[in-house]
Amino acid sequence: MARTYRALAALLSYPTEALQAATGEIAAALAEEAIVAAPQRTAIGIFLDEVAGTDIYELQERYFALFDRSRTLSLHLFEHIHGESRDRGQAMADLVTLYQNHGLDIAADELPDFLPLFLDFLSLLPDTEARTMLTEPAGILRALTDRLGARNTGYASVMAALADIAAAPTLAMSDIPEENPDDLEAMDASWEEAAVRFGPGEAVDACGTDRVRTQIRASQRNARQTTVPSVPSRNAAAA
Amino acid sequence: MSHFLDRLTFFKKQVDTFADGYGVVTNEPREWEDGYRKRWQHDKAVRSTHGVNCTGSCSWKIYVKGGIVTWETQQTDYPRTRPDLPNHEPRGCARGASYSWYLYSANRVKHPMVRGRLLKLWREARATLTPVAAWASIVEDAGKRASYTSKRGLGGLIRATWDEVNEIIASANAYTVKTYGPDRVIGFSPIPAMSMVSYAAGARYLSLLGGVCLSFYDWYCDLPPASPMTWGEQTDVPESADWYNAGYLMIWGSNVPQTRTPDAHFYTEVRYKGTKSVVVSPDYAEATKFADLWLHPKQGTDAALALAIGHVILREYYLNRSVPYFEDYARRYTDLPMLVRLVRKGDAFIPERLLRAEDFADNLGEANNAAWKTMAFDQDGQPVVPLGSVGFRWGQEGKWNLEAKESGGREVALTLTLAGDNPTARVSFPYFGGAATNGFKATGHGDVLTRNVPVRNLALKDGDTLVTTVFDLMCANYGLDRGLGGNNVASDYDEDKPFTPAWAENITGVPRHHIIHVAREFATNAEKTNGRSMVILGAGLNHWFHMDMAYRGIINMLVFCGCIGQSGGGWSHYVGQEKLRPQTGWVPIAFGTDWAKPPRHQNGTSFFYAHTDQWRYETLDVAEILSPTAPDGDWSGSTIDYNVRAERMGWLPSAPQLKQNPLTVAARAKAAGLEPKDYVAKAVASGELDLSCHDPDDPANWPRNMFVWRSNLLGSSGKGHEYFLKHLLGTSNGLLGKDLGAEGRERPQEVAWHDKAPEGKLDLLVTLDFRMSTTCVYSDIVLPTATWYEKNDLNTSDMHPFIHPLTAAVDPAWEARTDWQIYQDIARAFSEIAPEVLGRETDVVLTPVLHDTPGELAQPYGVSDWKRDGTTPVPGRTMPTVTVVERDYPGLYAQFTSIGPLLEKTGNGGKGIGWDTRHEVEFLRALNGTVAAGPAAGQPRLETDIHAIEAILSLAPETNGEVAVKAWEALGRKTGRDHTHLARPKEDEKIRFRDVIAQPRKIISSPTWSGIESDKVCYNAGYTNVHEFIPWRTLTGRQQLYQDHLWMRAFGEALVTWRPPVDTKATAQVQGRHANGNPEIVLNFVTPHQKWGIHSTYTDNLLMLTLSRGGPCIWISESDAKRVGIVDNDWIEAFNTNGALVARAVVSQRVNPGMVMMYHAQEKIVNMPGSEITGQRGGIHNSVTRVVMKPTHMIGGYAHQSYGLNYYGTVGSNRDEFIVIRRMNKVDWLDGTKPTMQKETVA
Repeated sequence: MARTYRALAALLSYPTEALQAATGEIAAALAEEAIVAAPQRTAIGIFLDEVAGTDIYELQERYFALFDRSRTLSLHLFEHIHGESRDRGQAMADLVTLYQNHGLDIAADELPDFLPLFLDFLSLLPDTEARTMLTEPAGILRALTDRLGARNTGYASVMAALADIAAAPTLAMSDIPEENPDDLEAMDASWEEAAVRFGPGEAVDACGTDRVRTQIRASQRNARQTTVPSVPSRNAAAA
Repeated sequence: MSHFLDRLTFFKKQVDTFADGYGVVTNEPREWEDGYRKRWQHDKAVRSTHGVNCTGSCSWKIYVKGGIVTWETQQTDYPRTRPDLPNHEPRGCARGASYSWYLYSANRVKHPMVRGRLLKLWREARATLTPVAAWASIVEDAGKRASYTSKRGLGGLIRATWDEVNEIIASANAYTVKTYGPDRVIGFSPIPAMSMVSYAAGARYLSLLGGVCLSFYDWYCDLPPASPMTWGEQTDVPESADWYNAGYLMIWGSNVPQTRTPDAHFYTEVRYKGTKSVVVSPDYAEATKFADLWLHPKQGTDAALALAIGHVILREYYLNRSVPYFEDYARRYTDLPMLVRLVRKGDAFIPERLLRAEDFADNLGEANNAAWKTMAFDQDGQPVVPLGSVGFRWGQEGKWNLEAKESGGREVALTLTLAGDNPTARVSFPYFGGAATNGFKATGHGDVLTRNVPVRNLALKDGDTLVTTVFDLMCANYGLDRGLGGNNVASDYDEDKPFTPAWAENITGVPRHHIIHVAREFATNAEKTNGRSMVILGAGLNHWFHMDMAYRGIINMLVFCGCIGQSGGGWSHYVGQEKLRPQTGWVPIAFGTDWAKPPRHQNGTSFFYAHTDQWRYETLDVAEILSPTAPDGDWSGSTIDYNVRAERMGWLPSAPQLKQNPLTVAARAKAAGLEPKDYVAKAVASGELDLSCHDPDDPANWPRNMFVWRSNLLGSSGKGHEYFLKHLLGTSNGLLGKDLGAEGRERPQEVAWHDKAPEGKLDLLVTLDFRMSTTCVYSDIVLPTATWYEKNDLNTSDMHPFIHPLTAAVDPAWEARTDWQIYQDIARAFSEIAPEVLGRETDVVLTPVLHDTPGELAQPYGVSDWKRDGTTPVPGRTMPTVTVVERDYPGLYAQFTSIGPLLEKTGNGGKGIGWDTRHEVEFLRALNGTVAAGPAAGQPRLETDIHAIEAILSLAPETNGEVAVKAWEALGRKTGRDHTHLARPKEDEKIRFRDVIAQPRKIISSPTWSGIESDKVCYNAGYTNVHEFIPWRTLTGRQQLYQDHLWMRAFGEALVTWRPPVDTKATAQVQGRHANGNPEIVLNFVTPHQKWGIHSTYTDNLLMLTLSRGGPCIWISESDAKRVGIVDNDWIEAFNTNGALVARAVVSQRVNPGMVMMYHAQEKIVNMPGSEITGQRGGIHNSVTRVVMKPTHMIGGYAHQSYGLNYYGTVGSNRDEFIVIRRMNKVDWLDGTKPTMQKETVA
């Protein structure tokens, strides 16, 4: 039972004046439980100061621009796992069942895979169980850390803390190897369609994020084939 | 050898064989099936459909598991059709199948959002001020106002609570109503049929407030004005199943498999029956694969092709030979026998208006509306007044029908032609084909073509007058040599004279033998089958400036061959069309006419033209489109001048209406001791009251608050996107052109010019959506609305006769609410806040002369513009109608949530007929319950969306057989015929919401529509006109091919002719001025509908994005691409004076040279880098467009050419536009990353 998860959940939720007032409490809780390693606590401390000292409207606009307007930074975990796959509905239904098995009903107007909601749930579990459960989306946490880091936002410190708790490897799903445009065999391989197989495995993978990414990448190939963009997809922010 | 011991006696093995031992039956455990079972497990499946802009209307099963929507599949329980007609299902396409993605997608609008700067101002003001005062303190301070309006589209939204946003919106509305008038509160929402309760929610709120609902069908340029011109009908078309009854089918500028996916199977199937298919499309569109013969005219030249086909039909089926079916049809159902006056112009005659009974001494005995009764010769050559013209429709009963009788009751066979014993006269016809620009082929036939026409002289009240028949004019117009001598007519198809096949070949590029071949097959099939030749036509024709010509050319083909109103025949216009089948039940709910009439309506195109200030940049001179045969008169002025004249004459609506607050007008009238009607007429003439249309840029005349719901106005349909951003919103934009003032060009006559154009007319833009669309990004307040699987609603289409529900499979996710709930909550907040500044108020509403009302008989002969004539305006005749409406602002919420008393007092109805509906209102009292207390005490409740649905279904003849019978009875009184047999068998059928949830239900035949539902025929437009002898709602009561209004004649379109695309002059100013070193090319820019989205919906859906190139792209021909060094997938920029856009090039053999295609409405928010020229993100397809309006669409007060919301009015055409295209060097994502450089060398 760790308040750390609840503290991190609060930091990843839509900022409010209540949050601004609670930064001291959050810092204290993190320090007390020390689940988050010291260097990360320092980074989070800087972010906490920023939260406490910034105009609330400014904070809210930033949060909106990051998490509500950008698919790649979505805090809904299955956005990154299932993407547009039909399996997403089933996965969410399973998660609801998991919460129910722990005697919990979702009270907020949120989906079950919302990261702060999930962390709230973890805060009720024994430490080891919570940690184990957090390893499941470890790759996503690392990817989000990298993406937030690239945007120079303090939220990266919170996500980094989570990724570390989850013991996520530093090589994340965001690191798509850059293809050598002269390597024709590799290019053929990336364009080749997999043979259709029947059975449950295919149903899971058929609409997975990898396929989307492959197709978007293919659509973004340079016309003159001199470079291949490394970014898998671009969801332009507001005009 | 015996096998006795090989057999088991007491057992049998679990293994058996079949198929001669090739198959083995086993009996093993079947756990492997669990995977499959689990995958398809669900808690419930709910019926719903897809709601706004797809008119397909397909029933879907929405699967719900654990309170979460998991997937959807097509419903397969449509009622069966009759034998030899394929069933409707399966309906649905890839787009619908991917819809559930939206519910939980990252792009969902999850919470009420407000522009942060605005919310901060609001909270600060609200800390000390009351709500309306708080809003005033913000918008009356220019600095505060600009601090948020100038940041529209640049991020900065934050969350707020529902209570707070409702209070802001209500305060803004109350302030605007009090300060400027309720007609400054504007709403835009399209296509109500597809989720009619959601549309009604906002429309009801606005209407009760006195706000303005904008039209959309004309704004989208999907309204074909040729339809109201010909039939007095907005659009009525066959259902898709009727394609299967056709014997000959043409698809013309429509792309059925791509844009009518769920209906396309009927097209596939009918070909197996032997029906021949001709596809007309300039590019190798998907539909061309259906073609037995593919005709590919140059884009925009379809009218020329249709005219040449008409030339052949008239020659071979009317002149060389008589076809009894065609001739009888022409006599009875068309204006071809009607008489037209000829008047002198120069050394020849020009056709004038249709002859009227009033032209004769003693009005030929017609006491009622003699000015509106058109004339023909009977079989003996005597002038007679045939039944059915609009004069019979109003002021008398029993004679408004299409029986072959004259007014006195005598049977007549009208004369089609005067050719024979009569003399001829030289009659001038305009020819516009010499003025073609931009690579469209100009021909040197002269701009006036004089041809000989047989005539008779009649002694009329005003002296001797030459008359001829429409048929004789028509033959001359088509350039047919009838042996009458004279020039400009052809007896040989190979002569290059308008409008022969040889002439058309030159203009369109279609070989003449193909034209002749198609014409013969089309007409011969119709002759043999009594009219089963059909044309499916669409946006490819209708989005051109001169769409009327292409449409009327095709309509003429169909009318000449007796195809309209016949099963398997007729015109099938499928673009943006919808069929709000229970319309008459819906209108009172949507427009609040149960409480107050009339609602304020405004035609969208003219509104946006004026208020996005596109008129300040107009490049098309009206003189360029005026006819060389225009009657004498002052035809000067610019496009907006014509529009303003139409507004003040009461032809078109006008909103905002008066510079003065309409809530103050009644008091002014009282002070002057006059009735409001008389006061307004006097005051607008004297200048005491100013019409807003005379100065749209005066802050007093700005629209102030705007609601957008069920629409992506800015990301999809906003033609002139950059003008919207600059002038209506006042934010950063990519407009490249200069206005008339800066250019030193001639300014409008009727409109005040301000050197500094307004930037940011709107105080508040509120958008309701479930996805963060481009419009949301630019809005001040964004409200999260329920998706199509989260609300209860109704959905009907013209593609099939079924009525579908939308049903709430789950509750709205996050903080979303249904549209009905959202507007109800705003109404509640408004009623609470209103007493600060508003109480019971008297509103004075100006309404244009409306079609299908007795008022449509306003100006029978000339055009009286009181301002220019110096005459006194007469409300309802030469100026808008003036009506006093009482508003109860504190009681608005009570009104919103109950059915008002007017239905019982004045009855219900539509399209010119009315009936008593007290029985239905009483039924609703019992069904919905009654309001206990307050301003609506005793009225039926209208609180939930299901209450609203039941009200619509109960009040409408299409869903309540008892009402249908009453409606047919009401029509029967007009026509003098009994039509009730069409509904009697279903008199007891009352369709309720739970019924349509259980299974799709077919609607009941009603006089609102011109087709019927029966076991014998599919729905087909015009069916009751032909088979029940109900007149079309036109001047002549017939299909009107001759348009005799003064402005129609002035602009040369009394008869169909060939008009090349107009020159918008949008490229010369910018070509070479923004050079990046790459070669530039000027090409025609067309925006067809796409396969991977429905307008902008689904274009942000990853599933759909993976099926196409996944981002903005432009299709270009190989040869054009080669000329400027563009290869496939290059980033390219397209620009003209209107703005710039970027996209990837799709270099394809599909596209014809000279043209590029950018599929309509690819979202600005997906995969869109910045423009090299403007520095702004992307631009959308509408960044390079601007609306160009046509004066003939402004005509009003003239029978069928009278205003109706979405019925008639200016349309937003955009296909005549040209752009400059070139490769980009630098692709900048504007996200802080380093721009990508596009290399020049080709690999």
